[in-house]
Amino acid sequence: MIFAKELGAALRESLETDERVVLIGEDIIDPYGGAFKVTRGLSTDFPSRVRTTPISEGAIAGFSAGLALAGMRPIAEVMFGDFITLCFDQIVNHITKYEAMYNGKATCPAVFRVPSGGHRGYGPTHSQSLEKHFFGVPHLRVVAASLFHDPRDAFRDFLSQNTPVLYVEHKLLYPQHMRLAPNGLITTREGSTVRLSAVPREDCTATVLAYGYQAGLAADIVEKLAVEEEIFVELLVPAELSPMDWAPVEVSAKATGSLVTVEEGTAGWSWGTEVSAVMSERLFGLLRRPVSVVASEKTVIPSSRAKEGRMLVGSPQIETAIREAAK
Amino acid sequence: MKPVIIPTPDVNSEHGVVVAWFADNHAWVDASADLAEVETSKAVLEVTAPDSGYVLHLANVKDEITLTAPVALLFDDLDALKAHEAALAAQREALKAEGPRASLKAIQRAEELGIDLSTLDSSHLITVKDVEAAFAAIQPVDYSDLPRPLQTKEGVQRVLLIGGGLGATQVIDIFAGSTTQQAVAVLDDKRDKWGSDVVGVPVVGGPDRLAALWQEQAFDAAVIAISTSVAARKKFRELCEKLGIPLANAIDPTSKIATGVVIGTGNVICAFCHFGFEAQIGDNNFFSAYNSFDHHNVIANDCSTGPGNLTSSRVKLGNQVRLGTGIHIEPGVELGDRVQVASGATIVRSVPADHVVKTKVVTTTVVPARSK
Repeated sequence: MIFAKELGAALRESLETDERVVLIGEDIIDPYGGAFKVTRGLSTDFPSRVRTTPISEGAIAGFSAGLALAGMRPIAEVMFGDFITLCFDQIVNHITKYEAMYNGKATCPAVFRVPSGGHRGYGPTHSQSLEKHFFGVPHLRVVAASLFHDPRDAFRDFLSQNTPVLYVEHKLLYPQHMRLAPNGLITTREGSTVRLSAVPREDCTATVLAYGYQAGLAADIVEKLAVEEEIFVELLVPAELSPMDWAPVEVSAKATGSLVTVEEGTAGWSWGTEVSAVMSERLFGLLRRPVSVVASEKTVIPSSRAKEGRMLVGSPQIETAIREAAK
Repeated sequence: MKPVIIPTPDVNSEHGVVVAWFADNHAWVDASADLAEVETSKAVLEVTAPDSGYVLHLANVKDEITLTAPVALLFDDLDALKAHEAALAAQREALKAEGPRASLKAIQRAEELGIDLSTLDSSHLITVKDVEAAFAAIQPVDYSDLPRPLQTKEGVQRVLLIGGGLGATQVIDIFAGSTTQQAVAVLDDKRDKWGSDVVGVPVVGGPDRLAALWQEQAFDAAVIAISTSVAARKKFRELCEKLGIPLANAIDPTSKIATGVVIGTGNVICAFCHFGFEAQIGDNNFFSAYNSFDHHNVIANDCSTGPGNLTSSRVKLGNQVRLGTGIHIEPGVELGDRVQVASGATIVRSVPADHVVKTKVVTTTVVPARSK
């Protein structure tokens, strides 16, 4: 089944199994069912708990905070992840702080779903991957959806704990089929990190760390390079971006001696640079080459699809970096 | 044959879902007749027939389709349609029944060496290395070049070790001070180890040499020195059984075996292990250092443990149980066959067969020491 339907099923399961769950967001009710149709059918079956909101992300963040403080489990859809900036103050200064400020007596377990990413020609303000601005915010979990992670596991986990979550969904994932057991690649899981490679780790000469939509692109390249040229690398796909589970990355990069990170966000002050800093410290002297960080150009996303294709990270940039890292 | 393309005024979508077909598969449609409805993220698109003909659906209702590929084909006659449909089905079958996956270089090398790829392990992509290893494995081996098992004094049990990894070094160390047992040879799968030695004990070939060496009476008993794979422990125990080769126990003199303990054969018991009153131990288990199994424990066969595990009384371990390190087990707990337990777990209730006990990842932070 395609990711959008799996995600819809995960939200349905959340509504069915936990009566504290409420879904809010712009235009998420039937018949429209949300801009990406993720919530289609849910408002018909749960009319009082799936509610459409005014066009105000500030209000969505405020409702979420209030509902969560009152013991509910709000899951908010921000129609385009670009607009999460309108929630930034409430997330950084309020939602993530309550539990510590009130010494655990108050909790605010709000979940924000942010459809993100480009490659669709939506232009500068509907194509961004803004999660980098949320990495490292204390008491906030930034989790990325991918075709290698069942969204049901993610939402079961969110509902079983009290930390607020930013759940990043790349828009191009929605129409794609899940790849939970992809053909042709050895797949193993360590916590929420999925490990994919064509051959056992000891034959791999580089580690590639990628999340979200880029992870799928990287998996195709990993397979292609293995089959066509016997260039073997190991791909790690974490779901949890911040805070990170560093252990699988450290173990893999130590074994392969080379590390590449891939993200669609703009270059600099990014996920990849943080990975690079941490791994350079932990694996000082154990890597053959510096950590390579693949990110998009540091500029505004163009509306022209041709120009967008050159600016955003896609398969060509990933392949070039992997070839270099595997040498 | 004419393709039916979906009109795409919706620039926002690349995919849509087929909502309905208005013409049955194989039915005749006239030009401009309504054919199907496809829903994209923004709109429902109506698909009409660009020409008349017999229609062949290329997607079912509810299927997700690419808007740039045809959704149906139109044929002038039914036979052509059916022939095309059969060809499509055959293509799908061929994809499913694809041979073993191998890299292009591996396919070429296999042809050169005359290796049949379907005989190789296909759990991962087959590479040149795999092909060459398979080729090497079928080359006749000249065992006369390899070292012979060691000789011992009369009355010393001559033990052959299966597995030449780190487990073997532990077993050899257990025998180091022994006057009754000595390791005389090691067998290992890996050809690059052949001819070398493990702490002075020669690696005399692979497991395929087991039968011949037994025939020659080059050793008296075997110990399986593999701690990392309980499946391998079982496999080699069964092989020895089949060949009539007895398994020896390798018990470190520092271990404490209490009154009434019953121990089978083929067990490796490393330094400072403790088995409490009337504990029963089966065959072919590998206990690393500092394992304590308290009184009335029952352990079956082919298990393997890391160092430093502690059990309370009456604990039971099934076959092929794997323990990590630093595990505590409460009284009376039973671990079923093939249970695996992660390091650091405290087990308070029984675990059914074929389950894994995981522990939360405990992260520790390593910081440089402060200089004075």
